[in-house]
Amino acid sequence: MKDGFRQSMAWLHTWSGLLVGWVLFMVFAAGTASYFKDEITFWMKPELHAISHGSVAQAVAAENAAAYLNRNAGNAARWFITLPTAREPAVGVLSIKPPPPAGSPPAERRRGFDRAALDPATGQAITAPRETRGGEFFYRLHFDLHYMPALWARWIVGFCAMFMLVAIVSGIVTHKRIFKDFFTFRPKKGQRSWLDAHNVTAVLALPYHAMITYTGLVTLMFMYMPWGPQVAYKAHGGTDTFFAEAIPGGLRTQIKPSGTKAALAPLAPMVAQATAHWDGAPVGRIVVHQPNDANAVVSITRAEGRHLSYEQPSMQFNGTTGALIGTFGDVPKAAAETRGVLYGLHIGRFADPLLRALFFVSGLAGCLMVATGLLLWAVKERQKYAKALKQGGRIGFGLRLVDGLNLGAIAGLPVAMAAFFWANRLLPVDVVGRNEAEIRWFFIVWGATAVLGLLRPTLRMWQAQLALGALLFALLPVLNAFTGPAALTVSLRSGPSSVAGFDLVAIALGLGLAGAAWLVERKRRKALAAPRKAVKPPPPTELTASAAAGQGS
Amino acid sequence: MPLLGLVFAASLAGFCALSLAMDRHSEDVFGRGSTPGAWRRWLQLGGTALLCLSLWASLEAAGGSVGWVLWLGALTAAALATVGLLSGLPHRFHWIASAAGGVAFLSLLFCL
Amino acid sequence: MILILQVFPLPLSHEFPNDLARRPALVVSAGVRYRMSVASRAVAAIAGGYGVAALSAAVLALGLPALFDMARSEAALTGTLVSFLVYAVAVMWVFAARSAWRAWTGLAIAAALQGLLLLLWTQGAGGAA
Repeated sequence: MKDGFRQSMAWLHTWSGLLVGWVLFMVFAAGTASYFKDEITFWMKPELHAISHGSVAQAVAAENAAAYLNRNAGNAARWFITLPTAREPAVGVLSIKPPPPAGSPPAERRRGFDRAALDPATGQAITAPRETRGGEFFYRLHFDLHYMPALWARWIVGFCAMFMLVAIVSGIVTHKRIFKDFFTFRPKKGQRSWLDAHNVTAVLALPYHAMITYTGLVTLMFMYMPWGPQVAYKAHGGTDTFFAEAIPGGLRTQIKPSGTKAALAPLAPMVAQATAHWDGAPVGRIVVHQPNDANAVVSITRAEGRHLSYEQPSMQFNGTTGALIGTFGDVPKAAAETRGVLYGLHIGRFADPLLRALFFVSGLAGCLMVATGLLLWAVKERQKYAKALKQGGRIGFGLRLVDGLNLGAIAGLPVAMAAFFWANRLLPVDVVGRNEAEIRWFFIVWGATAVLGLLRPTLRMWQAQLALGALLFALLPVLNAFTGPAALTVSLRSGPSSVAGFDLVAIALGLGLAGAAWLVERKRRKALAAPRKAVKPPPPTELTASAAAGQGS
Repeated sequence: MPLLGLVFAASLAGFCALSLAMDRHSEDVFGRGSTPGAWRRWLQLGGTALLCLSLWASLEAAGGSVGWVLWLGALTAAALATVGLLSGLPHRFHWIASAAGGVAFLSLLFCL
Repeated sequence: MILILQVFPLPLSHEFPNDLARRPALVVSAGVRYRMSVASRAVAAIAGGYGVAALSAAVLALGLPALFDMARSEAALTGTLVSFLVYAVAVMWVFAARSAWRAWTGLAIAAALQGLLLLLWTQGAGGAA
């Protein structure tokens, strides 16, 4: 029975992995990039590379932001102020516009909020860096996908994530010699090597893979599994009550304006009091509800720091008097804290650059795990056709489809990501809808590589796409030097360090892709050089040759 | 800084030791038919001890909860490096492993 | 699905005789029975598994306060967190079971038991209040 169990888990592992592998590869790649989404966004706004960031006291930055908002959004319903961090040197402000009077033209109604980036020292708006989604695009891509309603996308990604969770657990069950094979990697041995690569990238980063998959589900768990709160709170106030109890201080009910004007109390003392209460921990976000109104409430949340949990404590102050209304979240309850930690582990914002780099490495291992799994399936499948192919036959439609999809998904995605960065620097700055234009280039290029991959799933095509990806990535620092003020030579010496980091990682990725292209070249040469004994000499297509060598697409 | 060095050096040295305790990888490094022999238990114990040392250093460096995350991340990096070394540089493997052990020992001295 | 069944027949253990001869590498036609079996299990795993998981979330959300005096929001959170693991286990059960029929039966029993507990706790709470 035990062997039957292992076998059925092996079957389950193969199919749960294969059917969603192509989506998962993209989710892993985009998610891994997201660890550095702020740095990516920063690289994509070369106008900001010259900004000086000597440290400005939080209280001063908050006051400057408030002054700006008073001038430009005095009658807004709410202000959001995000204070600068090492990763984002500007102050982010966002104000909710008051609802437009009835009868105003529809165009004015569209954008309900205004946002700006401010220099923290002066409170002046930073003159428009180019419009770009930046790293946020990859972040959103990995759970909201694109060109579809977010709800559908999250269900699709959640479905894939559940499949992935099953694949992980069944993979562990199925792997017979998990300790004996721990360090085993035998290159140049065809199918054996693919299996070894899959095992190594999966097992050596197993804590990460299990964590990231499960916590990914946890981040959207109220959407996927609302039944706990729904059933438990049916007779006790519904899910609103649940959220109020589970996440105290969330202020989910809107504060209504009273209509009486009252000056907003200065923010600096509130910031100081909050920081003192949190033992010196800095403030992260300030939300002002109904500023300059008698009912104003200022909610101050602690900055993300070295705590694992995503939930941060917060404090609420009366907006007109500055008096403390309450503190929330100082002593979180066990299950709420667990959920906060799991969420925090997934988004990883607690991590300093070193730890984030380790997450990035594990994420790359995840991408390789998915890719080697997909390729391993194709290799194993191809062997079943080896006899038929020797006699001049063709592989089945299913395998050809998988070959094509593998090519487009695995080799095409890096090309598309690089194209996104090239578009960022090459598209004119003042083009309308610039954000979407850059994103469109990502999908156009990905679509092209996918189509080409499906049409000609050959080793040559793998080489071409991998080499193109390598070239586009490795030349990004050159592109940066010609289109921005902080070329690598400058940024290595005097910063910004995130720009230097981006350029260096781009080169490393380019080298990695070039290495992969070289591996394909070696395989191609080996396949062509080995003389084939057959009933009839097979036609000299690469597909046949690679099949006869028992190696991948 | 020496603490972080200890984290990485100890986990690398630990995994190298654990791998050499296996016949398969002893053969990779020292040639066909080689086994760890009498050293097997020592390599296993020493390797495990080094990994525990790495855990201690992580907890010291990054605190109670983040320390565990740092340790697991360092373990992943070290294990991947070990595999890379075994297949890429098998003949220098024991030198690199010893060097890692040396760095770990020095870092430990610095920290205490 | 057809593709799946053509190339990778489900290793149901009653299909393997003890003197196990090696299966041919390529099975061109696995028969309608196999296809129905795998399709049935897939539905059981995806839909039935979700049902069992959803029930487990609700059962924990109601049961933990009733049995261990846990706060309601805490229990609801715990139930939700655990439900994904229940889902994964349910899927594994479906494919490890000796037949599709057994797979469905197992899920049905799990669902029925949980349903009973739910009834007990919601009616009980209603009756007491």
